[in-house]
Amino acid sequence: MEKPSGSSESEGSPWQHIIPNRRVSHAHPPPRRTSRLSSVLTLSLLLIAFAHPASADILTDVTSSGKLTYGSDKEGGGPYAFPDPKAPREVIGFEVELMNALAKALGVKAEFSQGPWDRLLKVLDTRTIDVVVNGYEWTEDRARDYLATRPYYIYQLQLMASKKSAIQSWADLRQPKPNGRRWRVGVLVSSAAFNFAQESGGTNVEVVPFDGSTDAMNAVGSGQIDATLQDLPAAIFYRDRFPNLKFAGKPEGHGYYVIFLRQEDKALCEALDLALEDLIQSGTLRSIYERYGVWNEAQNELTSWTKDQFVTTGEGSPRGWRLLWQYRPLLLDAALMTILLSTTSMPLAMTIGLFVALGRLYGPRPLRVVLSLYIEILRGTPLMLQLFVLFYLLKLPALVAGIGGLAINYSAYEAEIYRAGIQAIPAGQMEAALALGMSRRLALRRVIVPQAVRIVIPAVTNDFIALFKDTSVCSAITLVELTKQYSILGNSTGRWIDFAVATAFLYMLMSVPLSWLSRWSEARLDAVGVKGGVLS
Amino acid sequence: MIEVNELVKRHGALEVLRGVTLAVKRNEVAAIIGPSGGGKSTFLRCLNGLEAFQGGSVSVDGYELNAFASPGDRARILCHVRERVGMVFQSFNLFPHRTVLENVIEGPVYVRGIARELAEIQAKQLLERVGLASRLHARPRQLSGGEQQRVAIARTLAMEPRAILFDEPTSALDPRMTAEVLAVLADLARDGLTMIVVTHAMQFARQVAHTIHVFGQGRVVESGPSCQIFEEPQHEATRSLLAEVQAA
Repeated sequence: MEKPSGSSESEGSPWQHIIPNRRVSHAHPPPRRTSRLSSVLTLSLLLIAFAHPASADILTDVTSSGKLTYGSDKEGGGPYAFPDPKAPREVIGFEVELMNALAKALGVKAEFSQGPWDRLLKVLDTRTIDVVVNGYEWTEDRARDYLATRPYYIYQLQLMASKKSAIQSWADLRQPKPNGRRWRVGVLVSSAAFNFAQESGGTNVEVVPFDGSTDAMNAVGSGQIDATLQDLPAAIFYRDRFPNLKFAGKPEGHGYYVIFLRQEDKALCEALDLALEDLIQSGTLRSIYERYGVWNEAQNELTSWTKDQFVTTGEGSPRGWRLLWQYRPLLLDAALMTILLSTTSMPLAMTIGLFVALGRLYGPRPLRVVLSLYIEILRGTPLMLQLFVLFYLLKLPALVAGIGGLAINYSAYEAEIYRAGIQAIPAGQMEAALALGMSRRLALRRVIVPQAVRIVIPAVTNDFIALFKDTSVCSAITLVELTKQYSILGNSTGRWIDFAVATAFLYMLMSVPLSWLSRWSEARLDAVGVKGGVLS
Repeated sequence: MIEVNELVKRHGALEVLRGVTLAVKRNEVAAIIGPSGGGKSTFLRCLNGLEAFQGGSVSVDGYELNAFASPGDRARILCHVRERVGMVFQSFNLFPHRTVLENVIEGPVYVRGIARELAEIQAKQLLERVGLASRLHARPRQLSGGEQQRVAIARTLAMEPRAILFDEPTSALDPRMTAEVLAVLADLARDGLTMIVVTHAMQFARQVAHTIHVFGQGRVVESGPSCQIFEEPQHEATRSLLAEVQAA
């Protein structure tokens, strides 16, 4: 973090007059003074509560309700906040203990609230939680839209690679990969590592976004990616569980985990700042971190940290057209991925579905049993789970798993649509064909299927539109399609609305032609005299 | 040419055909009459394998279908039988996604493997014969019922069968359209086509058919030359059937 120009000193923070002694304490770290500090803290809380009208600040709500609700994601994993192995309904982690300690200082109880990691700040906006604490690093863009406390952890990034790999450090990834491709580096999507890898990865690094830290480590273990860049605490915590992985080089990067609050909740922010400072000075924080093995020398900076280090400069991300124009290559790439996934998987699904339907209707009995099982299993389990199986268990490349998973999942639905379509053809059609001397197979090909296809076109087109939007599930297996890109960009710029509008528009742009296709095909059905299974 | 011996057909416990025996000679027109539910249509459908049966046998030009054939044998024999015996249905069963001409050439091109151009020339001649030369490119649904049935007859003729089974070919038609279709059937009879016609059109049966088989409760109750059946019915069931028709 660059040292700021010092302007904040002269302007002063708006609440400086309330607690005049704060700056002093930064400049000269006082000795341990637990009892004295807690009384200062109580006094300050009272002052803050009086200084801010009750309606304006959440602090009064927190103190009166007696609970501080913090948003976090267990999926992010240890050591931040994760299910207690001994009591899986409980959450433990260094952040959980930190929040418990902070809440205690405020005289309330901390309450964990589960949310999707890359949307926690949006959850904060809905006012269902009071603060966000989950390895969220301080960035200028976030600081522009949200209040941040002083840092509670200095993070660094650790590169992890397979023990068999030649990768020794982050610098190695700046060199071209021996086979001419790019290094595939897995990161937690929208995390500090994600931003770091994108900014300093250079042209030889392909950033592969994962939704969970351990997913990325798994993928390194299975050889699907070359390395993963992890926040140091996670790397340390999971080191033992992934014995095939090594720490490649020294930690890279440097930044601050902070607690984020809504812009208007200044009093709560101050109260947390004070309590945090107390935990740092008293060594309580250190003892928590040591218990989770995440304390290191870098944390000494927490004591010497000053508010001047968090300064937002400039305008931040542009808005509207300028913003979208700036990010258009990313949006268009993601839209292309969406198109690629849907236009390849749907024809496959239709083809597989047709054979499944025919086999189920006309095949020998054992085949019919197997195929109805196929349909029930695929319809009865979530698409995401099927994608996980293809990607993490069968270790298929992400694109293959994505296209294959969508195709197989939808083939079950298409098969049932075809079956209904075929059964809608009057029995007389098959009899007429057989009476002409056709084999059953030829009758299907020449008489039954052509009519059934015409009947099912509207239903299949409808499914195409559904599949088209279901491609977003593929983000769970590291494919960046439109919805994921929206989430990534919203996160990194804070301009959620602009990107939401653009994303919705792109989806519409792509699905409207499909609707036209559907209407056109229905009109065609009318022309040939087949509609809805009724022959007239 | 077609010989049926002690044919038994059951739907579960219900015995639809209870030992039907009859024969149809080459160039003969046989009419099957009888009350509804007497097993006439089922019998006809057994002849070309659209229905399986549980006892007895059907023999067409020496190719014998019976209840004991293995699936492979049955398929092979059916192939020969269907090549020789065509069928025209009560509800026409034209292929709605194809034009009149395409309906007629479908069998010749895809079953017999005749060149499309040749099949089209033949099809046009047949359609002319049934009076539909002007509707070659119409879709079935654009035709009247009578026209559709005449296309269906042309489609069956295009396979050059030695015999045609007609399953109540005029039951779905009004009197004027019935007349159109029966005229075509009479024409085919004059040409010496072997035909088995399940029908309620007594007038037609009397004038065109050589032999009449009266069905009742899954059996042939009476068979004979049409003049004999209509003028001196022997069996009580035949008499009451004819009386019903005359009263109607």
